[in-house]
Amino acid sequence: MPSWLQMAWERGILTTRYPREGARAEEVPVTGRPPVPVSALDHLTEAPARCPTGAITLEAVDQGKCVRCARCLGVGFTLSGPVESSEGRRADLVWAGGLPGAQTNDGLLAELGRSVHVFMVDVGSCMACNLEVLALSNPYYDSQRLGIFFTNSPRHADVLVVVGVPTDEMVEPVRRAYEAMPAPKAVIAVGACPISGGVFAGTGGLKPSLEAVIPVDRFVPGCPPPPIAILHAILATMGRSRTPPGGR
Amino acid sequence: MIGPAVHVRSPESGESNRVLAYWAPDETVAVWNNLSKGITEVERAPGGPCPPHLRKAWAVPPAEPRARCVGPLEQVDGYGVFTFPYGPISMGVPEAGRFDVRTYGERVLDIRPQVGFKSRRILGSLSGLSVPDAALRIERLAGPFAAAHAAAFLAAAESAEGRSIAVRDAWTRAAGQELQRIYNHVHVLARIAEAASQNVGLAQAHALAEDLLRLTAATFGHRWLFGAFLPGGPPSHLAPADRGPLRQSLDLLTQRFERLWATFQDSRTFLDRIQTTCAISRDDAVLWGAVGPTLRATGVAWDDRLRTPVPPYNDLFLPLATEPTGDSLGRLLVRVLEVRSSFLLLEQMLERWPRNEEEPVAPAAAIAPGRGIARVESPSGDLVYDVTVTDGRVTRVSTRTASDANWPLFTLGMRDAVFTDFHFAWESFGILFAETDR
Repeated sequence: MPSWLQMAWERGILTTRYPREGARAEEVPVTGRPPVPVSALDHLTEAPARCPTGAITLEAVDQGKCVRCARCLGVGFTLSGPVESSEGRRADLVWAGGLPGAQTNDGLLAELGRSVHVFMVDVGSCMACNLEVLALSNPYYDSQRLGIFFTNSPRHADVLVVVGVPTDEMVEPVRRAYEAMPAPKAVIAVGACPISGGVFAGTGGLKPSLEAVIPVDRFVPGCPPPPIAILHAILATMGRSRTPPGGR
Repeated sequence: MIGPAVHVRSPESGESNRVLAYWAPDETVAVWNNLSKGITEVERAPGGPCPPHLRKAWAVPPAEPRARCVGPLEQVDGYGVFTFPYGPISMGVPEAGRFDVRTYGERVLDIRPQVGFKSRRILGSLSGLSVPDAALRIERLAGPFAAAHAAAFLAAAESAEGRSIAVRDAWTRAAGQELQRIYNHVHVLARIAEAASQNVGLAQAHALAEDLLRLTAATFGHRWLFGAFLPGGPPSHLAPADRGPLRQSLDLLTQRFERLWATFQDSRTFLDRIQTTCAISRDDAVLWGAVGPTLRATGVAWDDRLRTPVPPYNDLFLPLATEPTGDSLGRLLVRVLEVRSSFLLLEQMLERWPRNEEEPVAPAAAIAPGRGIARVESPSGDLVYDVTVTDGRVTRVSTRTASDANWPLFTLGMRDAVFTDFHFAWESFGILFAETDR
């Protein structure tokens, strides 16, 4: 096996410095950041008309509905918000005046200590969010160094990560998976689809959001959210969102 | 010789059209032969022969003879035979779909994929939308294949409307599709490595996949190319003056891929595990209408990029990869050769990016007033869209995806396999539940 070793040696350490340091530019694509208005929101009258999901109104920007299509870029918006800033409870996602409010960080699973087990459920996704969640185990993000492990059964899971817009057919399976989890447990909705339906909002046979099916503790907007944002959401449920230097 | 038949069936009316059914083997172009020969035969390639300075000598081992492992099918009913349901929630297959396995404990007598759990009713929801708004949903039909779906849908809509696009747009679509094809093939390699517990190789393949996603994001503004082909999409850096990231990274990523694959080739346990796994015959592949690497791994030279060449593919050298074996290893080898050919295509695109960027490219002729059909080669194979547009609004869309076509081959290949073959077989096809549950 000398070739494997040599290859690993040559590539060196790839793992991100996050959360010890902030996310770097190459770790978050331009479409991974929330849109923020460059001037007062009620002057940007063209943006609401261009927004395909109704995320932008003259009063507020609902990051939970935004699918990062970038159509608002030319009309007074930039995709420049910090990557974690839009993530939190559902109410935190609606930015009055287009600006982020205070973030709530409840540390729901703080009592579990420094390690959680994560189970992912797809309730109707396009597979992009699934792959972004699974990317957490690649060497660039390496969630295991932070005590975040993927498990194969909801009975072993502390965190349920749900991707996709809930279809009628998946309501019962995801409800049963949720009930099978031991307490304390947290549910994280990843992507615009489980938050608001995303581009599919309003289609018959689909639930309006995951909240209509099971209780949800944290929401990660984006279409799909970059892995750093998902990592941050899991850390936030562990009460470790702003890890100070030194890794504690 | 009968090629892959394509039935385009409308979900509303149920009518079925047979679009294209026959091809002659002597029309085969630019056959990139199996591993034993490397890149040798080049006949009548649409863009002429491979430019000499792009020719590379890849060290390839000789193909080994293999025994076909399909015996007589066992009785699906019998003493102790039961149905083992796998899914719709499992981490082994990270999607919502179920397999009903008929078994008496270890051997898979029959496997019946149950689809429909994640049907998002996309096609029915498109009526009345403008083409760019409908394309937003089409891209999210299957995220990893977003470029192929968007390109096929837009080409069909443009054909229906008789609207031409700029040369630059045609080249952008091709570049995005090739980049996404490389990502998907590397992802398949990673998934098979994961199933085989090749953990060092898995980590390296995962890292390469992430490199490719970051390159896609740096070039097109989005990791999965959502919106990249639409007006007002994310900021692109593919303009001739500004395509630094792509130009800088191609050589490096090509080298990394070659190193990675060379180390996988050293691992006999890895190759042994997928050799003869889930073998399908050429006759079955043709009879059931397999497409993409599944079809090419049974020795049939069929690729939409060569069969229906649209710009820029008719200007570029594209070697076609085939393998004779029809097993998981064969499908993986076809993917490896296609990663190379996609890198080669991207290199050629960067070198020969057209100067007449704004010149219009005429769309394909509409098959009926306001109705167009387009086919592209998605990472898993032939993808067809049939789109009707009335007064700028989409009125009807139907599609036949690569996953639709390849389901029967997976079930045929899995008969008489054992449980532990499942992931090696399943991942090698590149089937997405999302593409079928649309």
